[in-house]
Amino acid sequence: MIIERARIKSNRPLAHEIWEMQFEAPNIAREYMGSGQFINILTVDDWNHPLRRPMSIASSEDGFVSIIYKIFGNMTRELTQKKSGETLDLLGPLGNIFSKWDNGSYPILIGGGVGLAPILNLKKACDDNKIEYTMIIGARSGNEHFISHEPEKNIYLTTDDGSMGEKGTVMVPLQRLVEINKNAFIFACGPEPMLRAVKEFAINNDIQAQLSVESYMGCGIGFCQGCVIQRKISKIQTHSYHEKYSLVCMDGPIYNAMDIKFD
Amino acid sequence: MQWISNLTNLTIHIGNTSFENPIWVASGTFGYGTEAPELVDVNQLGAIVTKSITRQPREGNPPPRIVETASGMINSIGLANIGVEKYIKKLLPIYEGLSTKIIMNIAGTDIQEYVEIMEMVESVSSAIAGYEINISCPNVKKGGMEFGVDCEMTAKLTETLRGITERLLIMKLSPNVSDIVSIGLSAENAGADAVSAINTVVGMSINAKTGMSDIFTTYGGLSGPAIKPIGLVAVHKLYQQLTIPIIGIGGIVSGEDAVEYMLAGATAVQVGTANFRDPGISENIIDSLKNILNESNRKVAADLIGTVQTH
Repeated sequence: MIIERARIKSNRPLAHEIWEMQFEAPNIAREYMGSGQFINILTVDDWNHPLRRPMSIASSEDGFVSIIYKIFGNMTRELTQKKSGETLDLLGPLGNIFSKWDNGSYPILIGGGVGLAPILNLKKACDDNKIEYTMIIGARSGNEHFISHEPEKNIYLTTDDGSMGEKGTVMVPLQRLVEINKNAFIFACGPEPMLRAVKEFAINNDIQAQLSVESYMGCGIGFCQGCVIQRKISKIQTHSYHEKYSLVCMDGPIYNAMDIKFD
Repeated sequence: MQWISNLTNLTIHIGNTSFENPIWVASGTFGYGTEAPELVDVNQLGAIVTKSITRQPREGNPPPRIVETASGMINSIGLANIGVEKYIKKLLPIYEGLSTKIIMNIAGTDIQEYVEIMEMVESVSSAIAGYEINISCPNVKKGGMEFGVDCEMTAKLTETLRGITERLLIMKLSPNVSDIVSIGLSAENAGADAVSAINTVVGMSINAKTGMSDIFTTYGGLSGPAIKPIGLVAVHKLYQQLTIPIIGIGGIVSGEDAVEYMLAGATAVQVGTANFRDPGISENIIDSLKNILNESNRKVAADLIGTVQTH
């Protein structure tokens, strides 16, 4: 992990309230290990907001890293005001990575809401490695989508209001597609209700699944012990102090679905 | 001009222990000092106050444990820690190899727990410089708070622990009391070498959209720049009445903040919440303190202590 003052290469809207920012961050890019890792961004230099904001890395190559962020509150709205050439203080890369997507199973990539970045990152890794997959991206409405609904390419969009792709949540195509692909392995990132549904579905249908979870973070490096998630088995913690909780910043953010509890 | 900075003297003394500089890191904001060697050279720090240790390991509170607030944050970690046995076995040997001073923070629910922990540490050889006694954690039911709000209990605990160790004994005071000075005096009279002030201020954060409290335990400890004025008052009041050194804590993020605390009466300061944002910030604060001293006529940091001018 490194703290790097990174120059903004681009900052642009992709869809309604969803933006992409690309940084020139050669040191972080050099240490980057793979899809799932995140950076902790200092969005303002003053102390009115003391804490960094964790953002999943959407891509990393040639000395650049990018994030995809959803406007959620004041801090993310402030991020949209940043111009290329300005700099931001980044800490990263942090956290663990999606694994076993290249082990011969059939990856089903599921992203929703703010959880798009690591899923698009993993999609690219699959493309680069010529691994076939299905991707399902959910949103409340069509204006939040910035990729196309292309079932012929195994890319499915869903919207809560039916304005684009299939109406309903990501669970609608997921249930159907799992029937077709018996060797499925789910990789998901998104809001907690979505992850809960995916987790329950995966366990009930005996499908392996890795989830990228969100947690309120104080530091991202294990100092504050704030970003805990309850876990079911003891072997997934290495950085929290005991067995009941795992530190999302260092033991996560990627967990096997059956290893964690959302309650 | 490097030769000028060599003239500054940052050394401070507490009891019979000297510290290379007055910039320490606060308990609970820096783990056990071993977490981020890539981001901070801990040997530059005046001291590391390690995360509170209890007799048995503690899981801590359920999430959510933290939330950002205006110029601060609220935490309710619940004293998650590895327990004294692991501290002795895993960490004390690592501390032998550090040139910075280690202050072990201890928390307990009754006097017996503090005593057991300290006796266990005293029974082995170690390089730790002393103890900071957490009598003021706001986040644990039946926690240290009952000691920290009561003069008699504070005196009794201090006196008991004084009988166990010759190392530095620092009592960490809570701001959530009606009269912090009387608690400080109780600690001093019972044999403490110093007091540190302040621990976090009890606070609450509510999400207006959801109607939910942001922290699982409803109330938590407010820290960060938001509490600096509260910390300065505590240090200034304590300095008027106590003769033992005061270690200032609360919202320190810059060399100027450290100077302000020393002017108010602090002999040393602890950097807390700022570590979450930048683990190496204390190194910057040390450099900044040197520069401030260089630019003034006072080259000796200790000369700042308690010299604030009031109207």
